[in-house]
Amino acid sequence: MRKSLIMMLSLIFVASALLAGCGKGDNSPGTSNTGSSGGNTSQGTKVEPFELKMRHIEIGEPNKNRLARLEAVKKKIEEQVPGLTIKLDGVDSEVNRKDKLRSEMAAGNPPDIFDAFGSPDIGVYAKEGLVLDIGPILDELNLRERFINLDPWTYDGKIYGLPKGGSIEGYFYNKEYFAAKGLEIPKSLAELEAIAEKVKADGKVPFAIGSKDAWVPLMTTNNLWAYYAGPDFTAGFKTGESKWNDPKMVEAVSKHQEWVKKGYFKKGELGIDYNSQRNQLLTDEAVMMYDGSWASSVFNDAVGADGKSKFGFFVMPPLNEGDGLSSMVDSNNGYAFSAKVADDPQKLEAVKTFIKTFFSDEIQLQSLSEDGLLPSMILSEEDLQANANNELIKEIILGMNELEYKWPAFDALVQAEVNTELGSGIHRVIEGVQDPKDMLDALQKVQDEANAAGE
Amino acid sequence: MTKKLKGSLAHILLMIYLLVILYPFLFVVFSSVKTDNLAIAQNPFGFPKEFQWSNYVEAWVNAKISTYFLNSLYIAVLAAVATIIMASMASFALTRMRFTKVSPLLYQIIILGILIPGNALLLPIYNLMRTTNLLDTHWALLIPYAANSIPFSVVILTAFMKSLPSEIEEAAVVDGLRSPGIFARVVMPLTVPALVTVFIVNFLGNWNEFLLANYFLSEDTLKTLPVGMVGFRDAFNINYAQMSAGIVYSVVPVMVIYAILQEKIIEGLTAGGVKG
Amino acid sequence: MNRAMRNPLMYTLFLIPTFIGIILFFIYPVINATFFSFTDWNGIAKTYNFTGFANYMKAMGQKEFWISVRNNGFFILFSVFIQVPLIILFSLLIANVKKLKGLYKTAVFMPSVMSTAVIGILWGFIYEPDIGLFNNVLGLFGIDKVYWLSDRSWAMLSILITNAWQWTGFYIVMVLAAIISIPKELDEAAMIDGATGFQRAMRITMPLIMPIVSVVIMLSIAGAMKAADIIIVMTKGGPAGSTEVMATYMLKHSITSFKYGYGNSIAVLIFIFTLIITALYQVLVVRRTERIEY
Repeated sequence: MRKSLIMMLSLIFVASALLAGCGKGDNSPGTSNTGSSGGNTSQGTKVEPFELKMRHIEIGEPNKNRLARLEAVKKKIEEQVPGLTIKLDGVDSEVNRKDKLRSEMAAGNPPDIFDAFGSPDIGVYAKEGLVLDIGPILDELNLRERFINLDPWTYDGKIYGLPKGGSIEGYFYNKEYFAAKGLEIPKSLAELEAIAEKVKADGKVPFAIGSKDAWVPLMTTNNLWAYYAGPDFTAGFKTGESKWNDPKMVEAVSKHQEWVKKGYFKKGELGIDYNSQRNQLLTDEAVMMYDGSWASSVFNDAVGADGKSKFGFFVMPPLNEGDGLSSMVDSNNGYAFSAKVADDPQKLEAVKTFIKTFFSDEIQLQSLSEDGLLPSMILSEEDLQANANNELIKEIILGMNELEYKWPAFDALVQAEVNTELGSGIHRVIEGVQDPKDMLDALQKVQDEANAAGE
Repeated sequence: MTKKLKGSLAHILLMIYLLVILYPFLFVVFSSVKTDNLAIAQNPFGFPKEFQWSNYVEAWVNAKISTYFLNSLYIAVLAAVATIIMASMASFALTRMRFTKVSPLLYQIIILGILIPGNALLLPIYNLMRTTNLLDTHWALLIPYAANSIPFSVVILTAFMKSLPSEIEEAAVVDGLRSPGIFARVVMPLTVPALVTVFIVNFLGNWNEFLLANYFLSEDTLKTLPVGMVGFRDAFNINYAQMSAGIVYSVVPVMVIYAILQEKIIEGLTAGGVKG
Repeated sequence: MNRAMRNPLMYTLFLIPTFIGIILFFIYPVINATFFSFTDWNGIAKTYNFTGFANYMKAMGQKEFWISVRNNGFFILFSVFIQVPLIILFSLLIANVKKLKGLYKTAVFMPSVMSTAVIGILWGFIYEPDIGLFNNVLGLFGIDKVYWLSDRSWAMLSILITNAWQWTGFYIVMVLAAIISIPKELDEAAMIDGATGFQRAMRITMPLIMPIVSVVIMLSIAGAMKAADIIIVMTKGGPAGSTEVMATYMLKHSITSFKYGYGNSIAVLIFIFTLIITALYQVLVVRRTERIEY
């Protein structure tokens, strides 16, 4: 028996050497042969029916308005482009970003239109020629100058995707509760901690949380280190200018751990899904929740006894009162397109129509009024005011206008493997099995390796 | 007296085990008709005070269980049948035909497959499916499912076929049958019990499979039950009552099928298991 | 006789479908994975470099990797030392009761027909700290909340329990089948000789069902090494990677971190470890006559 096992193994190794030659051919993506239907332009009398696949992440109750808007856009495009059917495919955001899209990219086979994150994901895909350069389309539609910030979507000077909206992060809080207890919006971290202490003493959870996916608690950590180490510190990790194990970083992560230890977050957070954290706020179990402005639609319908919005929003306060407010502001989530679209005039036309229809004032304003999604495009002030139709959204816009420091989220600035390591690291810190210093030392090692590997 | 005591002790132990198995189901059934999370939290095990049947309507509309269920059912059955045909042909050749030098080697190559972690091979198989343009069709699951259960099936079937007495072919040859005839008319009918086992085990494996189904299909109408249910959970995890209704939909049909087939299944396992 | 059963053409035809499957879905992917495990390919780029054994060396030096290896070990130990004895005990009990046999046989199998994804959701419910079943039961006895899936000391055990809940019944039915097929005469003869029920179970039934128990153990080991679905749906490897197994560790690195080459080296290691464990088991534990032939 043993003999035959050894034989099998050596067979496999020998064969693997033989396969070295053919392996390359099998796995080089992007060279596929989908151009075959390219001849059918619209000048012919008969229009070939064709299909466009579209991956989106607007699934479930909280995203129902977004889905409705997307479906309306789909209908409009289908009317404008003869022969077109758009197939919508909804996948959970995290699953799409981390698993599904990446395996599709590995196979050189992304959907025609897909939900994506700008930095760093798009850069990786663009480098291999897997995503469509939409510069020419933007020029043709005169859209290039209409976006607030396309940096996350730019690689090597070319634009590869467009953000759906913008967002900032901060605390959603229960206004009714604050009023009843005579609490004020905190002006410094110490005041925030004092509030948390009071809430805890009252038997409620200060901060709603669902940390099963590491990016959720990391939103809080990220804001903390932006205050402790500075708003531009994160950008330096990739260049080697900043170190994860800098004393300031250790202080910031220790603050997060201290909050966990003091019981400011709901217990058992590591087993709780992201979506459940909103539930903790809605059911009055928790009083505050750090989240992105995209979450605001969930609270639209929540009205207090006085008929006004029950929930409000404030940006995480600075270390010392009076220091400028600092928050993540990004437009890193949006749509990008498969490079293969370029081989097929019909599909290209459909993508153009999609961009024209979806990235319009109308949809941007609808997103704002229905879901509190901040615009990613430059809009007129009157339009903005007219469409910010509930107080919560007004507070979010106000929060954004008051910001002194704006920075992209950390995951847009570091390599994927650093993100993975930070994710398990913060889990260990929250769990209390590792010191912030040790975690950050280990993380810096991964960062060094990643920096060395990149050119 | 002691005998009776022992008898009831056995029943007590078994009843405890049964409770452990069945209670989770009951919990879900009860939860599925409760009004909301609060009602579940306040009275978690108890019989619901109010029945909110609309959870079922909502879940049906939202979850598309019927589509997922049918997809899973036909993929699992077809792939299991395909495996059985391939594996029994191979087992027949390996055990009944007289190639005593080559057969053991070929057998070992096949068997090694049991040890290979299927999940580990996700990406190469994904590439294979892509280059053959099968992604996003049910073939992308049917073919790998059928292939993946070959090694296990061959182990069980060869063990069974080996135990059949060699006189049976001799008689058949005298009757003028050639190898395909011997296979189809003589050996296969005798192997039925083992075939049932292999079918059930493979069916369950296919029915449960999550990873390939998750990665290889993206169109909603093509999705299988496991993927559909996880998607449903991701989308509706705020509403436990509705989620429970979704679970009930996904479980009850299988339970019914199992209840109908259970005698056959156990017979099959009996026959196959002993020889395994 | 010889002509019919020694026809090489027929022999080949019978084996071709199986070998096409084996080559495409086992041999080719293994070779492919082995090949890329010696590269730094990120899974997407058109180019990659050969890095020799660097990926393997890296894996060996990673604490997280060894945690995942250890967790696979837990899976195996739990199956062999807790699940298997329970399987034998319940099979013997069911085989010997007269009443309600049908009910028991039907019920024990039920969890095995449910999809792992659904079981993950169902048990997520049971382990839910606030309204879940377990904590409610414990609450009755005044025991504090346990954070089953988010507490390092409980998470792995919780997964093992769920996994056992799903598969124990399936194996019980297999063992039960073997017990039932034991000729009645043996048992009756022993009874006449005055052997007690316990003695009969230990001296007659046990030796006769050892081959099938051995199959059950082998299947459990192979299953334990492949486990991934249940972890993905229950904890995603959390909290803080404490429930990661080799298969999920591999997926996390090969796809999520764009480290396809590294992920493939883990895949190869899983294969090698499985080979070693099953070989050891066969050589050390199983008696010659009961071995599954490899």
